[in-house]
Amino acid sequence: MHAMTVLYDPDCGLCRRAHDWLAEQTKLIELIFIPCASKEARKRFPQLNHDLTKRDLTVVADNGAVYYGPKAWLMVLWALTRYREWAYRLAKPELLPTTRRVVSLISQHRYQIGRVAGFSK
Amino acid sequence: MTFGISTYVAYVAVSSAFTVWVGRTIYKNGRVFLIDVFHGNENLADSVNHLLVCGFYLISFGYISLALKLGYTIFDAQEAVEALSLKVGWVLLVLGLMHFFNLFLFTHLRGRKERRPNEPPVGPDAFTSVQQEA
Repeated sequence: MHAMTVLYDPDCGLCRRAHDWLAEQTKLIELIFIPCASKEARKRFPQLNHDLTKRDLTVVADNGAVYYGPKAWLMVLWALTRYREWAYRLAKPELLPTTRRVVSLISQHRYQIGRVAGFSK
Repeated sequence: MTFGISTYVAYVAVSSAFTVWVGRTIYKNGRVFLIDVFHGNENLADSVNHLLVCGFYLISFGYISLALKLGYTIFDAQEAVEALSLKVGWVLLVLGLMHFFNLFLFTHLRGRKERRPNEPPVGPDAFTSVQQEA
């Protein structure tokens, strides 16, 4: 695996902020950012369920492997030089349920969090 | 020899015997684990094994030495046996803890090895076709 496509929600302030932060990190795997359900996304992944990608962060690896939601977050962490160890740690069976819960919570409230933190446009 | 001194002699003899026995067990059986951990590098495994056993002996004999003092005078054989059993009991418990600590170390080292590097932390949810850019 050399590159992963991150399908993010362009209307969410928190996601744009996360994107800016990710852009600065050194990576072990290239990350390509494409707005979810966009023309570009549909062209690249013609068979993907694009309505599903609007609901939660989606990562597609260059081998076609699709990761939704919390798994997508872990894959993004895993792509970063500094946080690969953290991805493994958070994916351990003891921690994975908590990781899922926290990530889902943040994801569901991403618009509110973005507004409260002042990340909106 | 007074009862006190004979208790001490017996204590040192019994504790040392147990320590050496546990140490040798760890040394003999830990080797297999360590060779696996270090991907068959026997020299490195032997070296680490030796260092671990060295630490084990230091801590065990250190404890035995520190715990030697009785703090009271022994007047008959019954008291001697009781004092000896108390001391040896503590030594065995400490050896047991050390033994499990060593086991924990071995399994911990082994667990670290089992994860193949560059493998994603989670499995994919699905697969999709990827259109190569023209």
